[in-house]
Amino acid sequence: MSEEQFEPIIVAFCCNWCSYAGADLAGTSRLQYPPNVRIVRVMCSGMVHPKLVMDALNKGADGVLICGCHPGDCHYLEGNLKAQKRAEAIGLLLEDFGLEPERFRLEWVSASEGPRFAQVMTDMVEAVRSLGPSPYRAA
Amino acid sequence: MPAKVAEEWLNICGGCEVSILDIGDPLLGLLPQLQFVHMPVLMDHKYFGQTGEGTTLEIPQADVGIISGGVRNEKEKHVAEAMRQSCKTLIALGSCACFGGIPALANMWKLEELYEKVYRGSKTTEPAATPNQNLPPLLDSVKAVDEVVKVDAYIPGCPTAPEIIVQALTAVLEGKPFTLPERSVCDDCPVKREKKASGGTLKRPLEDISVKQGEPWENTRCFMEQGYLCLGPVTRAGCATGTEAEGHVKVPRCIKGHMPCRGCFGPIRQGANPLVDMMGALTSIGLDAKEVLDRRALLNRYIGGQNRLRPLPQKPAGGR
Repeated sequence: MSEEQFEPIIVAFCCNWCSYAGADLAGTSRLQYPPNVRIVRVMCSGMVHPKLVMDALNKGADGVLICGCHPGDCHYLEGNLKAQKRAEAIGLLLEDFGLEPERFRLEWVSASEGPRFAQVMTDMVEAVRSLGPSPYRAA
Repeated sequence: MPAKVAEEWLNICGGCEVSILDIGDPLLGLLPQLQFVHMPVLMDHKYFGQTGEGTTLEIPQADVGIISGGVRNEKEKHVAEAMRQSCKTLIALGSCACFGGIPALANMWKLEELYEKVYRGSKTTEPAATPNQNLPPLLDSVKAVDEVVKVDAYIPGCPTAPEIIVQALTAVLEGKPFTLPERSVCDDCPVKREKKASGGTLKRPLEDISVKQGEPWENTRCFMEQGYLCLGPVTRAGCATGTEAEGHVKVPRCIKGHMPCRGCFGPIRQGANPLVDMMGALTSIGLDAKEVLDRRALLNRYIGGQNRLRPLPQKPAGGR
């Protein structure tokens, strides 16, 4: 890895109704974004337990994204608000595991925001790339 | 013919051996079925022959082996391996053997940091070099027994409950497997729950917990909802007992003593992480996880082995 550029592994949990459709739109619009992102489709951002995020970070991911509908747009009315609450707990857990807060992000991406999806992914990948690999990657 | 039992204590305080004695009357019923062939706490049986004439560490052949305590140094690792070789069934007794126990809190620091603190960094200690003569070297971390050798049955608890030792020993003697149910302490707890904290901030367990003495437990509010950090939701059930005098109402041991659960029975199922799970349990009833002091240590108090506690990764000086 010394000579080559570090390629982070990013896991993105995208909600079925907004962000996954947003990712789809980014794809069909042929927008470019880094291939480091692994998308996991979930029914709602509110169902992503902090456990899943910590597991990902402990088992090889360098960064984790949760993408959901904008507040007020949730298909399940307030699932994304739950995700927001959980994001606070995830922040604490990152601290407990000695990880940088920048390794986790919660972002709102609607179904019509293909360009925004590509932008968010690019930003995240660059942010994590500058942090370097997760210390748990080798373990 | 009685079953041969070998018992060994490793990195431990000895409380679990006291728990064996604490079995009381049922122990008299068990004893004819047991023949202790090796037990450092009771009998003078040396590892290398009685006069030190042996060259290899020897533990007599036994049907059942019981190990209490985690594995901290090379000698203990060696003994644990010898126990595994000599015993047909191996039981891990107590939280130290099962998960690393209280000593495994040391896993939050590197060995060098520990030596520095213990021999040089503490104000009340005269600085000295780290001893290295005639002592077995420490392992890099405090390990649970199953990180070193295979374990067939686990009896958690700090100290463990005499009833469970009897259950486990009886099961093992009959050739049956022994496992505790995958339920939480809350499932066994009879207190009243309203699914919402009574408000305010997290309190320390030394402040008064409100308990309705002399009334049924259903009238007492859940300790966590009263604002005390209780590890019940993320801890395995099994410690609850109810004597005849108490009307056979099963109550977890610490709750019975008017203290919140401290989590000594370990995670509910293998691979669960109480630190992560507890965040959800706290926030779901409206308490603030930020207020838990020393979260990592408190929520891993008895289970620091098996890689749950480790030194925090060093922050890189700058990005690359």
